[in-house]
Amino acid sequence: MTKLLEVTDLRTYFFTEAGVVKAVDGISVSVEEGKTIGLVGESGSGKSVTAQSVLRIVPRPGKIVDGTIRFDGEDLLAKSEAEMRKMRGNKMAVVFQDPTTSLNPVYTVRKQLADILLLHKDLTKDQANKTALGLLEKVGIPEPESRLNAYPHELSGGMKQRIAIARALSCEPKLLFADEPTTNLDVTIQAQVLDLLKQLQKEYGMTMVMITHDMGIVADMTERVTVLYAGKVMEEADTLTLFTNPKHPYTEALLKAVPSVAQTRALEVIPGNIPNLIEPPPGCVFHPRCKFAKDICMKENPRWEKVSDGHYVACHRWRELSLEGRS
Amino acid sequence: MIPVFLGVAMLTFFVGNAAGNPIDLIRIFLKNPNPAVLDALRHYYHLDRPVWERFLYWLWDLMQGNLGVSLSGRQVADQIGLWTITTLELQVISLVLAVVIGIPVGVYSAEHQYSKGDYAITTVAIFGYSMPTFWLGIMLIIVFSFELGWLPASGASGISYLWGGSLFTDWLLHLILPVAVLTYVTLATIVRLVRANMLETLRQDYILAARASGLSERTVTYRYALRNAITPVVTVVGLSFGAALGGAPATETVFSWPGLGYAFARAAGVLDIPLVQGITIVITIMVLVANLITDLAYAALDPRVRID
Amino acid sequence: MSDKTPRRRAASQWAVAWRRFRRNKSALIGTSIVAFFLIVAILSQWIAPYPPRSYEALYEGSAGTPPSWQHPFGVESSGIDVFSEVIHGTRNDLYVGLTAAILTMIIGIVVGALGGYFKGIISDIVLGLTQIFFVIPALLLILLFARIFLALVFKGFGLTLIVLILSFFGWSGTAFIVRGETLRVREMDFVQAARSLGAGSSRLLFRHIVPNILSPVIVITTLNIAGFILTEVVVSFLGFGDANTTTWGLLLNEGFSYIRTDWWVALFPGLAVVFSVLGFNLMGDGLSDALNPRLRE
Repeated sequence: MTKLLEVTDLRTYFFTEAGVVKAVDGISVSVEEGKTIGLVGESGSGKSVTAQSVLRIVPRPGKIVDGTIRFDGEDLLAKSEAEMRKMRGNKMAVVFQDPTTSLNPVYTVRKQLADILLLHKDLTKDQANKTALGLLEKVGIPEPESRLNAYPHELSGGMKQRIAIARALSCEPKLLFADEPTTNLDVTIQAQVLDLLKQLQKEYGMTMVMITHDMGIVADMTERVTVLYAGKVMEEADTLTLFTNPKHPYTEALLKAVPSVAQTRALEVIPGNIPNLIEPPPGCVFHPRCKFAKDICMKENPRWEKVSDGHYVACHRWRELSLEGRS
Repeated sequence: MIPVFLGVAMLTFFVGNAAGNPIDLIRIFLKNPNPAVLDALRHYYHLDRPVWERFLYWLWDLMQGNLGVSLSGRQVADQIGLWTITTLELQVISLVLAVVIGIPVGVYSAEHQYSKGDYAITTVAIFGYSMPTFWLGIMLIIVFSFELGWLPASGASGISYLWGGSLFTDWLLHLILPVAVLTYVTLATIVRLVRANMLETLRQDYILAARASGLSERTVTYRYALRNAITPVVTVVGLSFGAALGGAPATETVFSWPGLGYAFARAAGVLDIPLVQGITIVITIMVLVANLITDLAYAALDPRVRID
Repeated sequence: MSDKTPRRRAASQWAVAWRRFRRNKSALIGTSIVAFFLIVAILSQWIAPYPPRSYEALYEGSAGTPPSWQHPFGVESSGIDVFSEVIHGTRNDLYVGLTAAILTMIIGIVVGALGGYFKGIISDIVLGLTQIFFVIPALLLILLFARIFLALVFKGFGLTLIVLILSFFGWSGTAFIVRGETLRVREMDFVQAARSLGAGSSRLLFRHIVPNILSPVIVITTLNIAGFILTEVVVSFLGFGDANTTTWGLLLNEGFSYIRTDWWVALFPGLAVVFSVLGFNLMGDGLSDALNPRLRE
């Protein structure tokens, strides 16, 4: 299968008054066409910035300083801004975390959907409106005609997110980034939205990158997973392998942090906080919070090593450690 | 609105009469007042009645459009019209200029945050609202009128004569300095406000989403970001216009600009209380109207505020 | 477990805000300017060459002279040394600005907190009162009050009266903010918790609510200092202030009469106003940024 998206050694830094924040510091990620991968990590791990980097919408003062991004065989970093604009919303799209802030409060639903359709496709205003209506139906919004003319603040969280999804999918993109799409929603709505995403992916044959910190969602939606921490990749494998046979202490900790009904032991908390991205700790960036850290972890950056086919890890001690997975 | 109006009316009247009735006050300034004139005025103002009654008489007069009689003997209402137009002339032109220049400059500043241009703009702006408007006027007069002799130092040279050739240029020349001063100071506030709001808006997710949808930078900035950022600016502009109407006494004095502010300053100076009251009421009404318009404009721009 | 975790620094919100403030260049510039003026104000008696409102320079024969070494800011035609007067004015104007701002803050907090905490009629009255005072053309009424009270009734009370008048018309802005914040904080969990532990109204208000609404109050009070100085300058310039006390506004009034000939009388006091107000504005902006972070990361 061909790789639709190939990100190699991406570095995106934010040049702020307080210093240079290395939000993405050498991340490599790839997705095969039609598949769904998960980009997992805590906040500050660089997952959102990676997505922004692919679309090249990293907000100031951020800049992509190194790496390559290939999409559908083309080098995205070599494209001009005008060419990128043609791709955004069209060939690739994003669904954001908080639909309350990702929808413009002063425009109606119809306008927000129609604007994008009119931008990328050769439609008349009427056709755009009709298409918008169809999109609302597709994402399961009841009474779509009346909702079209509503303002975002008149709708519930779940409905807003469906509209955000409709907006992202309006031009049938090949690649969809779903950035924590259910984090801000009620638990009951979460499942609905995830199901909707799965269903739409099948229908459109999309490739999806699921950005999340919730391993439960990863288990439910993805085929491969990349684990990020503090702007670097810790581990990468297909989902089943990652869950049953993790090789990185951070991955193990993430798995342990997900509660399940069958669990009888206490939830383990990962002690400490994410590191300062302006001055990351020397050596392995995870070592201050790692219970297996040794001298070498504090001095040398671990290399990207192959565990088995399709399973890679960046850890000095992965061979010695026996970590617990889940089934 | 009514309670506000009444509140102001009361404050003005009672304070104005706090130090004694108006006639007694004039005594301090007039050398040999004609007792007959004084008696007539006394009668007119019902000064033989207690303060409360006088207030009600005054209010009643106001309802009928009678703004009272100044201690100089002339009807307040006669002169107020002219003064109002003169002040509005200055304020409206300055406001329009300030908005037209200020919004693009503020947007530019926000888009290029941390750049040299941004620093220059913010510095100029912060000086602008740190200085007394009238003082800038004095400085400019010294430079442009006295040292360089380019522009006239005072007066408005009459207003409604816009058709004659040289009268027009004369009017224009007289307008330049006061407008420049007022515009600069208002500009400073607007630029700062627009910049702050744009910065805030540009951080929002829906702007990122708009970019992610492929919209051009110009569309994103002007149709999406500005549209959201402008709402609080409208409020402040409306409110400060109202405040500016009443806040011009010092600037108008410096330029001898015969508007409401100048009239107020002179009237208060000689303790012509009825005149002061009249002017204050007129300005208050204008402020209330300005606020009303601002509220309506705000509701038109921000759908979250509308009551269905 | 690795022991190389960097030591955690004090994390109270004030400490964090202070650190942010310290890194802000313009805030530091503003604070330095303010500090400079404060020092001048405090030491005014000793560093001013001439006593306030003194015509001594007349006898030296240097009345009406432009800036020179002996008289850095020049001399008025009446013999008043502008440099000394600006220094004396610093003391008086800063007094007015600071005192009025503090008084306004107190009134604003009390009124706003009461209006935001108690529901029902008290809240409505407070809101109505605040709105009235907010909308009135304050400057006009301040001028009127000043003219009447100062010139005729309370001669000699001068500055304090101005402070009272300024506060009387200036508290509504602070009250609005305090009321809004109180409403917001009142519903927060920790207040409910304190109430459930037996705290009464006044304890809730002063121990719990007020400390949490201080940030915007500090900012607006600092900016108010700047605003009150500017207002005082206008009042004195129009001749409605205390003619016996040196203020920058009074100097500008005198400077305006000499506008054709002695430009220095208007220039230097004006510069003093601009820079002192600038200082407070920069400080206020810096405080605002430090206490309300809006930057990502």
